[in-house]
Amino acid sequence: MSLQYQAVQWNRQKRLYDAVLVGGVALYLLGFGAVTEFLFPNITEEILLMRAFGSAAFILLHIILCIGPLGRLNAGFLPLLYNRRHAGVTLFLLALIHAVMVVTTYHAGGDTNPIASIWVSSPLTHSVAGVPFQAFGFLALVILFLMAATSHDFWLANLSAPVWKSLHMLVYAAYALLVLHVTFGVLQAETSLVYAVTMAAGLVTVLGLHGLAASKEARLDRKINAPDTDGWVEAGAVADIPDNRARIVCVAGERVAIFKYAGKISAVSNVCQHQNGPLGEGKIVAGCITCPWHGYQYLPETGASPPPFVERVPTFQVRLKNGRVWVNPQPNPAGTRAEPAVIEL
Amino acid sequence: MSDDFYIGWEARPGAGPARRLRTLVVLLLVVGLGLAVALATQQHTIGTSVFEWGNLKPFSGRLELQPYPHLLVPRPGATNSQPGFSTYYLVAPFKHGLDREKFGALEGQMVTLQGTLIYRGDQTMVEAVPDSIHAVASPASLPTGAATVRLGRQTLVGEIVDSKCYFGVMNPGQLLPHRACAINCISGGIPPVLLVRPKNGPAIYLLLVSALGKPVNQQVLDFVAEPVEITGEVEWQDGLLILRADPQTYRRVGR
Ligand code: FES
Repeated sequence: MSLQYQAVQWNRQKRLYDAVLVGGVALYLLGFGAVTEFLFPNITEEILLMRAFGSAAFILLHIILCIGPLGRLNAGFLPLLYNRRHAGVTLFLLALIHAVMVVTTYHAGGDTNPIASIWVSSPLTHSVAGVPFQAFGFLALVILFLMAATSHDFWLANLSAPVWKSLHMLVYAAYALLVLHVTFGVLQAETSLVYAVTMAAGLVTVLGLHGLAASKEARLDRKINAPDTDGWVEAGAVADIPDNRARIVCVAGERVAIFKYAGKISAVSNVCQHQNGPLGEGKIVAGCITCPWHGYQYLPETGASPPPFVERVPTFQVRLKNGRVWVNPQPNPAGTRAEPAVIEL
Repeated sequence: MSDDFYIGWEARPGAGPARRLRTLVVLLLVVGLGLAVALATQQHTIGTSVFEWGNLKPFSGRLELQPYPHLLVPRPGATNSQPGFSTYYLVAPFKHGLDREKFGALEGQMVTLQGTLIYRGDQTMVEAVPDSIHAVASPASLPTGAATVRLGRQTLVGEIVDSKCYFGVMNPGQLLPHRACAINCISGGIPPVLLVRPKNGPAIYLLLVSALGKPVNQQVLDFVAEPVEITGEVEWQDGLLILRADPQTYRRVGR
C-alpha cells in the first residue's frame, strides 16, 4: 500500500480472485472449443484457437469496462474492482495469443514479412473489404500491452498518477478500435443475428453503464450550496451521516468527503491518492478512512496514511451549527491536521 | 473484519460482501458459458473440406502447367461417361504456387511426386514436395487431356478465393477475416478461383485466367474475398472449369 516499490502481496482474496478469473476464462475457452469441435469437426485448429481466444478477450474487455461504473452505482460490485488489473493482464495475454495465431496463420508463409503483411496485404479499396480491420486490432493490442506492462503500482508511482491515469484511459481507445476490428472483421463473415445482437448489447451495456454512473455523479455535483458571508458552505445535517461513513458534498467545485466517527466530524478531499477512488464511499475502519476501491487508508484528522505509508490527501476545516455541518471550501495542504468538530449530544 | 464493507487486503470478506460476491461470480460464469455456447453454435462459415496434414502420399500422372499447374492422374476403369483421369491442382507448401519455370522441362510428361491431399466437394489438390517431382518413363496409357469444351460467354457473381485455403488448408478459408491470407496466397502463386454458389445445387469453382488464358494472380488481388461479378468465356479443360476475362472488367457488387 505504499508508493515505494513492493512485490505484489498475495492474500487469500487475491488468490481466489485469480482462481475465479483463470477458471472463468478456461471454462469459456473449453466451452467454445468443445461445442465448435462437436458441431464443426472440419474447422482448422488454428482458426478455432483464434476465434476462442479472440472472443474471450473481447468479452473480458466488456466485463473490465463495466466494473468501474457498476462499482460507482453499487458497492456490491467493488470486489471485482480490487484486482481489476489482473483481469487486464489476462485480457492482454488472450489478445496476444489471438494475434499470434492470426499472424502465423494468415500472414506467415508467404512472400511478405508477416508483421508487414498486417499492414500491406489487405489493400484499401472503396468497399467494406477495404477497411483495415487487422490494423485496428494491432493498434488495440499495442495499447493493451502498454497498459498490462505498466499495471503494477511501481509504474503508477514512477509515471506519476496523472500520466498513469491518462495512459490507462486509453483502454477506451482500445475498445473503440476493437469494436471496429470485430465489426469489419469476423462479423462480415459470421452474419448470424446472434453475433450482431451480442455485439450491440455489449456496446449498449458499456455505454449505458458509463452514462448512468456519470449522471449519478453529476447529480451529486449539481447540489452546490451557496457559501455563507464568511465563505463557509453548509453541507447537510449531522444526523444524515451514518456512523463511520461519509457524505460527499461538492464545495467550490471540489468533492469533499465528510466523515462521522467516534462522535466527531472530519472532512477530507474525496479523491484517493492511489487511483482517484471516492473516499467518501469508504468507511472508517480501525480509526482510518478506508478507500472502497483498494483499501488505502487515511487518518480523518490529518488526511495522512498511517506510517509506514506515505499517501496524503487534503483536509478541510469543519464546524457544527444547530446540528448542521459547515465546511471551509479552502482545502488545507495534503496531510495537514484539521481539528475535528465534536458532536455535542 | 468489517462486516458489510469489502476490503481486499483483509484475509476474508465480511459475510454480506462474501454472499453477494458468490452470487455475482456464479452469474458471471453462467453468462460466460452461455456466450461460449451461443457464439460457437452460431458459426456458419465452416464447411466440409480436408487437408490430410502429415500424411504424405505418392502421386503419379501427367504434369500440366497451363493455365495453372495440375496433375492428370490415370483413373482405372474409365468409361465413356467418365474421363480417363482425375485432375489435381498442384501447389507448393505454405503460401506458394508450384514454380512453373522450374518444372517447365517436365511439362506434358509423366511424373511422380510426394504430396499431401487437399479436397473439398469434387475439387482435389495436392500440396507437392517440390524436390520430390521427377519424370518417369511414360506408360502406354499416358492420359491425354480431353479436348477443350467451350461453354460460351457468361456473367457470374461469386467470391474470389485462394484455392489452396478454400479447398481445405484453412477452414473457414474465405470472406473478410481471411482476406489478407487469400491475398498472400494468390500473390504467392496459388491459383485464384471464383467460388459461385447457385441457389440450388453444389458450389461451382472456376479457375480465373486472362482473356488470353494467362494466369492473373497479381491482377485480381484487389477483388479477393468480396462479391464480384465477372463476365467472360467459360470453358472446360482437363476436368477444370476455366473463366477467361480481363481482370480490369471485374466488377465489385454490393451484398
Ligand atoms: S483508489 Fe485505490 S485505494 Fe483508493
